[in-house]
Amino acid sequence: MKSAYCFDLDGTLTSIEILPCIASELGVAEEIATLTRVTMSGLISFEESMRLRCLILGQVPVQRVHEIVDTIPLDPFLADFIAERSDDCFVVTGNLDVWIEPLVRRLGCRTYSSRAALEAGKLTVEHVLDKGVAIGEIRALGYDRILAVGDGANDVPMLRRADAAVAFGGVHSPMPTAIKESHFVVHDGNSLCKLLTAL
Amino acid sequence: MLEIEGRTLLTRLVNALRPHVPRIHVVVGYREELIIEHCALHHRDVILVRNPDFRTTNTAQSMRMGATGVSGKVLFLDGDLLIADESLGGFIQRAATVPMLVGIAPTRSEQAVCVDLDDHADGVRVTGFTRSESKPYEWANVVAGPASILDQATGYVFEKLSTYLPVPACELDLREVDTPADLEFATAFAASLDAT
Repeated sequence: MKSAYCFDLDGTLTSIEILPCIASELGVAEEIATLTRVTMSGLISFEESMRLRCLILGQVPVQRVHEIVDTIPLDPFLADFIAERSDDCFVVTGNLDVWIEPLVRRLGCRTYSSRAALEAGKLTVEHVLDKGVAIGEIRALGYDRILAVGDGANDVPMLRRADAAVAFGGVHSPMPTAIKESHFVVHDGNSLCKLLTAL
Repeated sequence: MLEIEGRTLLTRLVNALRPHVPRIHVVVGYREELIIEHCALHHRDVILVRNPDFRTTNTAQSMRMGATGVSGKVLFLDGDLLIADESLGGFIQRAATVPMLVGIAPTRSEQAVCVDLDDHADGVRVTGFTRSESKPYEWANVVAGPASILDQATGYVFEKLSTYLPVPACELDLREVDTPADLEFATAFAASLDAT
């Protein structure tokens, strides 16, 4: 049975949230963290929130964003897990392709993300990823089974369409909406990898 | 989530199991958010297996769910048990030497499922379960065996185990906390365990 492993990025594969780190460059880390929390709780739609956050954080030059993103730590257990089976692992993130490039390079697996265009230093969000659609596309690659790991409200469509869904609380507790769609709840990267290996 | 002598039963069980097993799965249903929060704070390595159908499933089905994704041998046990560390360690050691091992304890429960035993060359074996007759030993709600032993179980765990008899047995030093009277005995038992 061919299995695909699909991971949310922010706060799942990364040991800290990415957007508040970028926001600290503008001195609005707390505000963006609040907006992120509200979004993860599902109080505003992910697409609305992402467009708003990009409007604010788009002021930071992309090269500077890459420098920041490149220092963001990954969960070491999950990074090793992906390195060992990178052909069958996927990052499924609502974050922007132009921002997360350095992280994706470090992880070395395929990525489904939101897309933005960059013209003369101006960032324009072109497409906000629906994670449920991404799971459908990954399954169509020839996978019999999808195992998905996420923590927030925008992960719900991914968790719902997975054959085995894990709500992961490595950085913060997974949102109740994500838990409700999951078969398992795990709070530790090592335990998560043991579970994924066993499933 | 019941607390005895300042520690929850779950914490006591997890701490007792941790030195002996590579992975601990806890099946959660009723008020799952309390147990998830407790594990997030105190037992981050525990894997929580959700049973959203807890209202319509029984213990055997919950236990089977807990073994999801596990190959090899599993120790299945109720969450309302208080077990002496040394006794649990001995049980797990013995379980490694036989395909299946059933836990038994001197009969104390108000609604005990008692066991028929026989002496075999390899040790004591359970040959039957009964609710209608009182016997010196009861089923302790602990069993070790292949992950699949509870597959297709629809009734009680002991009913499913009946299909595998005879099965080697091992006595456990434990208390089950089902009733207020049990709690009183368990509290005294916990105090004696904590003192050692």
